[in-house]
Amino acid sequence: MIQAQSLTKHYGRKTAVDAVDFTVQPGKVTGFLGPNGAGKSTTMRMIVGLDRPSAGSVIVNGKPYHEHKAPLREVGVLLDAKAVHTGRSAYNHLRAMAATHSIPTSRVHEVINLTGLESVARKRVGGFSLGMGQRLGIAAALLGDPATLILDEPVNGLDPEGVQWVRKLTKQLAAEGRTVLLSSHLMSEMALTADHIIVLGRGRVIADASVADIIASAAQNTVRVRTPHTAALATLLAQPDVTIINIEQGVIEISGLTVNEIGDRAAAAQISLHELTAVSASLEDAYMKLTQNEVEYRTGDASSHTEAEVTR
Amino acid sequence: MSTVTPSQPSAARTSFVPTGSGLSITGLLRSETIKLWSLRSTYWTLSLVVVVSLGIAVLMSFAMSASTAGFDPTTGAPIALESAQMFVLVSTTGLGLGQLIVAVLGVLSISGEYSSGMIKSTLTAVPNRLPALWAKVVVLFGFTFLVGLISVVGSFLAVLPILGAKDLTASLFDTEVILPLLGNALFLAIIAVFALGIGTILRSSAGGIATVLGITLLLPTVLAVLSIFIEWIADIMPYLFTVAGTTMITPNTMESWQGFLIVLVWVVVSLGVAALLLKRRDA
Repeated sequence: MIQAQSLTKHYGRKTAVDAVDFTVQPGKVTGFLGPNGAGKSTTMRMIVGLDRPSAGSVIVNGKPYHEHKAPLREVGVLLDAKAVHTGRSAYNHLRAMAATHSIPTSRVHEVINLTGLESVARKRVGGFSLGMGQRLGIAAALLGDPATLILDEPVNGLDPEGVQWVRKLTKQLAAEGRTVLLSSHLMSEMALTADHIIVLGRGRVIADASVADIIASAAQNTVRVRTPHTAALATLLAQPDVTIINIEQGVIEISGLTVNEIGDRAAAAQISLHELTAVSASLEDAYMKLTQNEVEYRTGDASSHTEAEVTR
Repeated sequence: MSTVTPSQPSAARTSFVPTGSGLSITGLLRSETIKLWSLRSTYWTLSLVVVVSLGIAVLMSFAMSASTAGFDPTTGAPIALESAQMFVLVSTTGLGLGQLIVAVLGVLSISGEYSSGMIKSTLTAVPNRLPALWAKVVVLFGFTFLVGLISVVGSFLAVLPILGAKDLTASLFDTEVILPLLGNALFLAIIAVFALGIGTILRSSAGGIATVLGITLLLPTVLAVLSIFIEWIADIMPYLFTVAGTTMITPNTMESWQGFLIVLVWVVVSLGVAALLLKRRDA
């Protein structure tokens, strides 16, 4: 379990994390979402004591991280794929990490097998692809068989088979009663993996709920209609709480009305419809809606002054 | 006999209690030893120290004879050396280059962790941080001392037959031989951990190496020149790291202990500041 209280981090005059409160529960996969620069990585770094909070506190498995007698057995962490000396082999990296906690070499071989690194374990990490680096990072996180796992973008650079493997692994670890905190920019993947979502935006928690609740609260279901008479249909359906968006020539997306309502009214007005489909909202839609005002580095937004992204 | 209880759905199990061994001093020392010897650079730098030492010792011993004797290490004036002194001079001269090599190794042993990102792994495994630094200090000190000892004792043994042919003999266990040899090996290890401290403070390979070489090589030379014009600079010369180190390892100097203490102060300051910054800074 991870508990953050008024957790704050300033870098100079910039506030990366702004008095956030959240609890990551054991037995679930918790997704950690937010635009670049929202404070996800900084928060994760503070959990494992790499960055010192400017204010507030965060405890993991009941204590501040540094007070644990066996930190690697409490928390396994993948911060980024480059937390390894490039001149060392994967095997020796894991052996050196394991030695700090007197974890036997048999466990090193176990995590190498588990992550599928057997064929490259004796090679120097400098030559690893991004995906192999991620697998090594996950292997290192699993070394101590920890009660809590913190994985920052674990599927970044993995092939589809690897993405699926991470999904199964994290679900299984959570099912064993462990706490799993996972960040990713792949919304579809997150929707499949996570049970619970915490969304950060500009250093604040802007949503903290189950995946279903997040989608239900933030995104609207829409109806896609294909018809040669879009203008006539739009006029017919126009009312204050109905939004109509032109998708392409002859296709509109309507929110605020059900499939039945649209179909019935079109029939009554004798407007022919070629398609009438209910489109259910996705986590991505909900995420976009939640973070639309929180994106710090929006594409093509000339008015906002640029700030260096905090990726430390 | 068995009582059947309905198995809980997995999501209901909400506690996973970690078990097994935790952090320990021996574990950290083992980890740092693995780290040191799993990099190729360690092998070639430390082998280079031994090879350069032996090579220079053998070359010097061929050039020397009982009559040419040697030169004064500080003034450069030719003087007549005792047999034991000559053996020490021949066996330790090559280690001067070794000092530069281990200075680089000392900086790299920590700056390499910063440049590669390894430091994040190190500090998450040892969140109190300082035990990781002390383990690094002990391991680096131990192995560089050992390599220094192999270099000087190896050089001594290598030149023994060459100088022996010129009617020069000395015993390794003569205090006039073994003490300066140990002193040289010790100073080599001290330079390595001093450099480790500087590397930790600066967190950069280039900056760390430049600073260490600046302090050990450049500073004494520059100040020696300046002391010609500015009188008081001559008074601080003995307190410079390298000058004090030379005093420490110069055979038969009464001030050897003083030199050792001055060198020790440099190391304590370097590692003290390093520890303070390591503890305080965000990784």
